[in-house]
Formats: sequence, structure tokens, C-alpha cells
Amino acid sequence: MSALVASRAAPAGFDLIGELRRREPRFAAMGLIMLMLALPTAFAALVDTRMVGGVGVWIKPLKFQASLAAYLLTLAWFAAFLPVGVRESRWYRRYASVVVALVGAEMLWLMGASVFGVASHFNRDGGFLEAIYPVMGLFAIGLSSATLVYGVLIGRDARSPLAPAFRASLSLGLVLTFVLTVLAAGFLAGGQGHFVGEAAAAAREVPVLGWARDGGDLRVAHFFATHAMHVIPAFGLAAALLLPGRRGVLAVRLFAVAFAAFTGFVLVQATRGLPLIG
Amino acid sequence: MDADLIFSAGGTMAMAGWLALLASPLAPRAADAIAAQAIPLLLSIAYAGLILAFWTSGEGGFDSLDNVARLFQTRELLLAGWLHYLAFDLFVGAWIVRTARTAAMPFWMVVPCLPATFLFGPAGYLAFSMIRFARARATAPRFAA
Repeated sequence: MSALVASRAAPAGFDLIGELRRREPRFAAMGLIMLMLALPTAFAALVDTRMVGGVGVWIKPLKFQASLAAYLLTLAWFAAFLPVGVRESRWYRRYASVVVALVGAEMLWLMGASVFGVASHFNRDGGFLEAIYPVMGLFAIGLSSATLVYGVLIGRDARSPLAPAFRASLSLGLVLTFVLTVLAAGFLAGGQGHFVGEAAAAAREVPVLGWARDGGDLRVAHFFATHAMHVIPAFGLAAALLLPGRRGVLAVRLFAVAFAAFTGFVLVQATRGLPLIG
Repeated sequence: MDADLIFSAGGTMAMAGWLALLASPLAPRAADAIAAQAIPLLLSIAYAGLILAFWTSGEGGFDSLDNVARLFQTRELLLAGWLHYLAFDLFVGAWIVRTARTAAMPFWMVVPCLPATFLFGPAGYLAFSMIRFARARATAPRFAA
């Protein structure tokens, strides 16, 4: 299979998949599986006419395959920044295996519900799916906890060779991802659905993401919360390159606060029934 | 996406794979990449998608002939079954070509096995197996006295 992916035509330069596998083999493997699962799922989405909540039954699994792939492959990339010795330690290897198992369980649940043509989230049919919903919530916190673990380990690694601003951005981005996501997802899960106010089922939506434009949508805050681990380190990389030492770290901290505040803002906005993009 | 369209596309792709196998003496690795991997994988993706989408709307199952007939009453599941044939017959065809090459069998002996496998699946596999067995006996060394 790899012969199909890494052709002789590729320059003698960078093997991204190989590098990810080298940095964090478990996360890289599961991330790749998520991407590959999107192929039959996309085909199913093309042929299946069933809907749940006004949307094709395979859209949610596809969104999760994309986002879990992004999540795992980002962590695999960041694994190189963990303190020396962590990845070889037994506790870490067991923990990483658990995270991967939780991701697998979530995907089984999501795809299983779609096979039967029913809702995975907010399922009120009174059956098995409704009963396991809180369990899947716990699993989600469990798999997200890797951001907290990575963030704390990187933040407290005094011997890190990384530029201080970049290291701070990684640590803050990862920890904020965990905190903000649990917050946003908690709001989401505690309610009746992701729409608040005017649109119980949105009439107008933002393309691709499907965010409501007529009312509040709690998924907006969830999106920004999960992407803290991308946006803040990206800022941190730029800060490390453009600003000297301490000022770079300060800029990163200010940016992280602003990002958290913005996420809080869109969360409150949604709870009040207002759209981000009208 | 329409079942008849998928049927045609699948058939065309399979055909391309079989043509690659017929041309395999000219480009053995390319023929194998196409016929053993790429096309069966594409057909498998389509198959898996159809099962995900239509399995629960089918009746019957695999435990009796009548139940299999019931399963195939659902047109999309019949289509999936057809893609299953196309994918695996091609995979076997590629295996035949590789195995023959390893055993240094002349390609003209392989050629009739290919349309046999293409049209009659297991019959082509049987034909190849018989030729291979017959040849092995014919070319095996005599007992050392």
C-alpha cells in the first residue's frame, strides 16, 4: 500500500507519513485509519438517501473522521516536542493506546448509528444509543485529555530545546484546547441539540460546517475551542521567528487570552440564540 | 448516485484491470499495482459504502439459499454482491499472473485462465490450479535412485 503512496517520483525530501509514524506510531496509525475510513463513508454518503435531523446520515461520521484525523496527526507531530524519555516510558505507551482505543470506540458508535439510520448524538429513542450517550461523552473527554497531558508536559519541560515563545504557544494552545472544548462540548451535550433559539433546525447555514445563520449554534464555540491547538502554536511559531525572547512569550500569552475570550464570546452568543455569521 | 451508473463504472474499471493483466508481460509491476491493488481497492471502497448504506434495509442473510435470494431482492445489495465478484475475481487474476511468473510458467498458458476467471471466477482459478499441478508433475525431478 505504501508503494502506492510514496512513488519514485517524489523528491528525495520529505516523507510526511513516515515522519508522523516515527514521532508517534499509535496516533499516526489511527489518524491514517480515520482518513482512510472517510473513503467508504463518503461513498455511502453519495448513495444513502436517509436523513437524521435534516442532514444526510453519513455527514456526522465524515466530520468526525476528518477532525479526529486532524487531532491525532497534530498530536503525532507535536509528540516530537515532548520531554525526552516520555514516549519510551511505559505509562505513556499505555495511555496513548487507551486514547487510540477510545477514538476507535467513538467511531464505531458514530458509524454504527448511521448504519441503522438513527442519531448518535442527542438520541432520545429510549434504546441502547440513548443509554450510552453519557458514556461516549466520558470517552470523548478521555481522548481529548491527550491535549492536557501534552500541554502540561511541554509547558513544564525546563530542558526543552524549543524557542520559549513557541513552547509557550504549544503548551497554552493544547491546555486551552482541553479546557475550552470540555466547556463548549459540555454546553452542547447538556442541551437538546446544537441549535439555540430561532432555528430548531436551521433554515440557512454556513457552507461545509453547517453552522446556523438564523439562530445560535453551540458548535461554533466547539470549533474554535478544538482549533486552539492549531491557531495558538501557529501564532507562537511566528512570534518566535519575529520577536525576541521575552516579548515573544508575552505576545503568545496575550494572544492565548484573546483567543480564549473570543471562544467564550461565541459560546455566550450562541446560548443567547444569536449566530456568529448572520 | 444511481445503481446502474455504479454498475457500469465498476464493470469498466474491472475491464481495465483485466486488460492490464493481459499486458502484464510488458509491465509486470504496473499490471500488479493496477490489478491487485488499485482497482480492487476502489471496488472495495464502493462495496463497503453500499453495505454501510443499505445493509439494514435488506432482508434475509447468509444462512440459507432462500435468505441469500431475499438479500439480493434489495437492488443495491445485489449491486454490492456484483462489485464483490468484480473485485475478488480481478484480485485472483492478478494472483494467477504473479504465481505463474514465479513458477516460470509460459504466459500463453496463463492467458486462457484470465477470461475464465473474469467470466467464471472460481472456474478460472480451478483451471489455473490444474495446469499448475500438471506442470509441476511434468517438470519435477525424478526420484534419486
